[in-house]
Amino acid sequence: MAINISNAQNRDAVVAVETLYGKREIRYVDGKGKPTANVRVLKSDSEHELPLLLKKHKDLNKVAKALVKDDPEIDMDLTGMFLTDTSKVYVSPRGIVHLVEEFELVYEPDGELKTRRPRIKSSQNMNSEVPVRWTGKFIKKEEAVRRFVFTNTKQVVHVNGLTFDFLYQMAEDLAKRDSMLLLRGGEKGDEPLVMNRGGKPYNAFLEGRVKGESYCLLLHMSNMELKRPKVIIADE
Amino acid sequence: MAKSLRLSLDGNEFEVMITRIDRDDLYGRVEVEAFDEKGKPAELKVLAADGKTLIERGGSALAVVNEKGDSIERSELVPVDLEGEELTKVESSFNLTNELSAAEVDDYLGLVVKSVYVLDPAEESDITYLADHLEGGQMYKFPFSYRGGIEHDAAYILGSGKDAFMILGKDGEVDYLKLNQATVLDPQEEVEISADEISFDLL
Repeated sequence: MAINISNAQNRDAVVAVETLYGKREIRYVDGKGKPTANVRVLKSDSEHELPLLLKKHKDLNKVAKALVKDDPEIDMDLTGMFLTDTSKVYVSPRGIVHLVEEFELVYEPDGELKTRRPRIKSSQNMNSEVPVRWTGKFIKKEEAVRRFVFTNTKQVVHVNGLTFDFLYQMAEDLAKRDSMLLLRGGEKGDEPLVMNRGGKPYNAFLEGRVKGESYCLLLHMSNMELKRPKVIIADE
Repeated sequence: MAKSLRLSLDGNEFEVMITRIDRDDLYGRVEVEAFDEKGKPAELKVLAADGKTLIERGGSALAVVNEKGDSIERSELVPVDLEGEELTKVESSFNLTNELSAAEVDDYLGLVVKSVYVLDPAEESDITYLADHLEGGQMYKFPFSYRGGIEHDAAYILGSGKDAFMILGKDGEVDYLKLNQATVLDPQEEVEISADEISFDLL
């Protein structure tokens, strides 16, 4: 993924952002010590799910009898196929819908419906003509970690020698300040960052570290404060 | 009833209850409803790569396959470390006394967060010692496993206001990137801001 980002001098460059992954120290092998892999497989397509079986056989008893007698829930050609390159589509009783009207139902934390409104999908603003803005607003790291939960962290990566210098300088400045920089997007430079069209908006903070002649620039995304909710529903 | 988690800090032991919280608990949630051109309700389904097979929620599953692509039962799988050595199982953290060790902010900032819990003292337990240290700006870490298994997650304990939280996740692979050269930036107009100035409920 790319990000068009400006620095303290209002110079901008397109660089890469990579997802920060947790350290993977475990893998699974089969009984012979050979590597294995996870795959997603089809259990049942829509044509073989209970609602359609019910429609076909009229009641549950007849569905049960059909299940005992045959395998109406299984498509011998499709069941078990590996699923790759899938996509999400809206489906109405008339089939796949290409033109859909969406509404958002906004609920309060206590579950009460607050409002119903047409859904507006925000454009992504991380890699547009308008660079993500160096706001000059800093927060000490010590404070930030106690105020926000960083639910999504990415590493900003240079793509050539020029952008190495560009990013190294950012990282160095941030490391000296021991602070994070609040980033904003959009024409006015006042919007939270949106990575994909219709995606979640995030308050984004840039953190920099340097070690000798190497740097580390982390983009911490947060859509949640670290605070106790007014109502907690216990689980687990 | 939920089980308490026994923690130990500098030889002081105490029990806490942990309650998972998420964004919905703080700001509420948003559900989307959709309609086709005729006003009929539409629902999201998965379309397979063949362009015609529609799959309902729950219509797919994860399977494990070997090198030949044959399915393997999960019970046949052997967890190994990066050197190929078989791993021993870890016990649930609820069955142990969990020793807290000091953590650094930079370590925490490399965490790939999975979940957030708020901590409360278990019945008849006093966590004043921990709360005092958290208020003093300390941060702690310990290996955590909810139900036991083959690996731990990293649990960080930190305070925010009067409350204590446990942030659970995996320590991330943070890389320092090399090339050469470093210069000094010219100062520009910059201001320190308070976290209170940043809106979250508008997201």
